[in-house]
Amino acid sequence: MELTKNELAVYARQVGIPGWGAEGQLRLKSSTVFVAGAGGLGCPAATYLAAAGVGRVVVCDADRVDRPNLNRQYLYSPSDVGRDKAPIARDRLLEINPSIEVEARVEEITGENAAGLIAGSDLILDCLDNLASRMALNRAAIAVRTPIVYSAVSELTGHLTVLSPPATPCLECFVTRTPPPAEPAIPGFTAGTMGTMQAMEAVKFLIGYGDCLTGRLLILEGVEPRVDVIDIERDPGCPACRGL
Amino acid sequence: MEIFLRSGGKLREWLSPDVDNYTRRLEIDGGPTLREILATVGIPDGLVAFAFAGGKIRRLDYVPSDGDVITLQPPVSGG
Repeated sequence: MELTKNELAVYARQVGIPGWGAEGQLRLKSSTVFVAGAGGLGCPAATYLAAAGVGRVVVCDADRVDRPNLNRQYLYSPSDVGRDKAPIARDRLLEINPSIEVEARVEEITGENAAGLIAGSDLILDCLDNLASRMALNRAAIAVRTPIVYSAVSELTGHLTVLSPPATPCLECFVTRTPPPAEPAIPGFTAGTMGTMQAMEAVKFLIGYGDCLTGRLLILEGVEPRVDVIDIERDPGCPACRGL
Repeated sequence: MEIFLRSGGKLREWLSPDVDNYTRRLEIDGGPTLREILATVGIPDGLVAFAFAGGKIRRLDYVPSDGDVITLQPPVSGG
């Protein structure tokens, strides 16, 4: 696999970073990333993966565009209301970067289908909006040892970490409480910030650049504003990953 | 001994901060767990996903030390 002249031109402003280079760019080109959720987190995350030159991006979301999505899910416009998100996201990502492959999956992630959906992926981005699907994705990823870049947001709060058990905790090691059933308020800048940081962690992981947020949880409190990075450890009794 | 509870996210509404807009100072004795402290200040423990202090995650059975600054985090799962 090689980089084309056009790709070298498009990626010129990133391959110059020491430690990235053409070799790192080729790693991105040969990678497949599964983006679970094409909402507030998934829109920026998938955008920057595509723009960075990840060779194959799979965007999975069962939802249709609704008006309350439009404050943060910028791949969609008012004329998209009522249409499936994933195919629209695919088309917009291909407009941004026609050199890559983008696949759209209109499916809700469950315990039954998660393993099949993520098969063949080098990395998963958990950009979901509900704990049930997040837990199903976590268990499927553990089974095939595929790392997850996880984020979750509410109001001006954001969480971010890279899950790769047994080297790190899995999601069930530290998320033990179910959020209230009401949909959280999420302004665009919170989801945009955290989704963009998911893309950054993903690219670093794929090209082996810098240190990823493994075993650490980044907590953004936009109200104060404040950012904490804390250590997180495996739960020896975790029902999802204790056998690893 | 004294400890400081800091509120994260939506927990601000429950903490009644007095040090700054996010922090409440507490005098405690007898080595209570974080769960018992939350009950004392009226924060339902179901609203707290986890806490952290000293750069490490702490569960609700954590017994604080003098001077601890313990930040509470609500469940967060939106996207």
